[in-house]
Amino acid sequence: MAPAVLIIVGLRLWPLVLGVNFSFTGDGDRNGVLVGLDNYLTLFSDPLFLTALRNVGLLVLLLPVAVAIPGLLATFIYLRVPGHRLYRGVYFFPAVLSPVIVGAIFNLLLAFDGPLNALLGGMGIGPVDWLGDPDVAIFAVVGVHVWGTFGMALVVFLAGFATLDSSLLDAAKVDGASLPQTIWHVIVPSLSRTIQFVFVTTMIGMLTSMFGLIYVMTGGGPEGSTYLPEFYVWIQQGRMNQPALASAASTALFLIMLVVGLAQIGILRRAGKED
Amino acid sequence: MKQRTLWSVALVVGLTLTAGCGSAAGPGSSSGGSADKLVVWDWKSGDPKAAGYVEKAKADFAKKHPGVKVEFVAQPFDQYYTLLGAAIQAGKGPDVVLFNGGGQIRDRADALAPLDSYVADDKQRLAGWDAFTKDGKVFAEPVTLQGHPIYYNKDLYQKAGLSPDVPAKTWDDFVKNCGVVSQKTGAKCFAQGNKEGYGIQFFLSAMGSAVLTPQEYDDWIAGKRNWFSPDVKRIFELWKQTGDAGLNSDGANSTAMFNDAFGLFNSGKAANVIGLMSDVGHWKDFAEFLTPEKVGVMQAPVVNPAAKPSLAYDGGIGYAVAKWTKDPKVAADLVRSLTSTDALKAFYLDGGAIASDTTIDTSASGPAVKTIVSQVKSGKPALHVALSSKTLDLMGRLSQQLLSGSATVDDVVQQLAASDKTG
Repeated sequence: MAPAVLIIVGLRLWPLVLGVNFSFTGDGDRNGVLVGLDNYLTLFSDPLFLTALRNVGLLVLLLPVAVAIPGLLATFIYLRVPGHRLYRGVYFFPAVLSPVIVGAIFNLLLAFDGPLNALLGGMGIGPVDWLGDPDVAIFAVVGVHVWGTFGMALVVFLAGFATLDSSLLDAAKVDGASLPQTIWHVIVPSLSRTIQFVFVTTMIGMLTSMFGLIYVMTGGGPEGSTYLPEFYVWIQQGRMNQPALASAASTALFLIMLVVGLAQIGILRRAGKED
Repeated sequence: MKQRTLWSVALVVGLTLTAGCGSAAGPGSSSGGSADKLVVWDWKSGDPKAAGYVEKAKADFAKKHPGVKVEFVAQPFDQYYTLLGAAIQAGKGPDVVLFNGGGQIRDRADALAPLDSYVADDKQRLAGWDAFTKDGKVFAEPVTLQGHPIYYNKDLYQKAGLSPDVPAKTWDDFVKNCGVVSQKTGAKCFAQGNKEGYGIQFFLSAMGSAVLTPQEYDDWIAGKRNWFSPDVKRIFELWKQTGDAGLNSDGANSTAMFNDAFGLFNSGKAANVIGLMSDVGHWKDFAEFLTPEKVGVMQAPVVNPAAKPSLAYDGGIGYAVAKWTKDPKVAADLVRSLTSTDALKAFYLDGGAIASDTTIDTSASGPAVKTIVSQVKSGKPALHVALSSKTLDLMGRLSQQLLSGSATVDDVVQQLAASDKTG
């Protein structure tokens, strides 16, 4: 017991305390001076940090889409659409690529003079500046993130399907249920625990592993529209030389993750009780 | 449950007791190298093109201090200032540190030792000291000069029926010529990359001397910046014009300056580009694609008749000595070896940099270098280098808004003035 506690305290809690501690000190000329809540006031009056928080909200809103895509595709594979074996491999493939490689590939595809715009131009649709238009860029990055990671969720869904009682599906078929009806009334209720698990892991993935994509694809731009809190922390520490402000931002990010994490634990626990 | 509450209480008490008594820098003691070993951090020494330079510098230093070992640690440039920030916070790290001139070194001058007493003999021989000076103290010796000449593709001008050796003298003529080039060859006027917000920095510095009066220019560099003056606003209006009038290459806000924009110029898709003097995106890179004879350098086309166009340049990169090093004199000697004429000559020849040493003969490298070197004497510090990294970051985002039309010039100068005031 004691060694475990020491490890947790020494390697987890104490650095956390130091980090929070830094966030109450100043940067530059005020290095090491206690400045109270100044950093937090700066943070919440910085439009860039507010954009980053807004983007976190946007990610939460887009979460159902990010879960529905692998869910639907897994359903089709489970229902054995023609070529389902091939699709199972193809869908999983991007999950083994690093975000840097995925970002570099899509940088080329989504460039203003890139192939996607050429394709759109061929269909008579004007070019879209996928990574240069502040209203579009965040959706482009999230879309690429979903493309790059949904394979993992797909595998989890397929594992969930393995536990599905096939007699229910047969019964639905006998009763003449359509595909949407089958999905809604049979598959979704039977897979509720799997769906909840995918929700939790997808949310964590979105909040913690978008950095590489943003770094490679947009660098936080255009006009700061694709900032996320962790990217903000990195910029403040590395480029602006404001480690104390970065600590404040990390503390804020930690609190957000704490709330999201607790909410998710709550959901999972409730789901566990239902069984 | 009771135990968990206890832990929470302990955590909260710990937080309260220690709140505010730390510092981001920590105790500044200890050194990376020992007395007979110096550690150098840079992002250059791993580059094969810099091998000759490092070798010459090492040899020069070994003559002065035969007993002292030197270790070069090449860091990835992307991570460089993040890693250095961590070293500075810990108060230990390399003895000799490579820096970009301007904001990057000034923001971190607290962690460096002033070099004035060691480098007096080099003052005349080297150029570009201003970028490494803060409050009258020198913190690094310049290795290269970095600046923003306007390069043009002589071939495209010729194909358009314009005289390639007589570039436009005024902005209006320049824009008119661009129209002709675009019509005849299909090439855009500027190869523009503003994804990271570098486009506006290059533009501000390359065009500034053609818009501001000499007095306004010197005031800007001295820190007396009037963002609301008509001439300063004019620069941002010109920037907006490059977007609105279709002078820029397409998708400027999603094109990376390094190296997509330079690629557009190299492949003849744009007739002009505001490039660099050293490292990348410069005369040597362009000459490899276009041949040296076809790369021209023009003086900034005059916008304001009261302005006197000049080349904008500063010290590009330079070596500094960390405050925590054991013997600053020895470390400063290493810095002097790294800026010796022999070493810098190797850097110029292999790496394609305009070295800070004004005694190096550059006549063999083509017309573009000749023009640049001839302008160094009358050149002035670049306008954007005088700004803090925070203001530059903001300017990058605002410049994207100017191109996309979601901000006006008045909004932009207002926000920049506010950011410039707070530093």
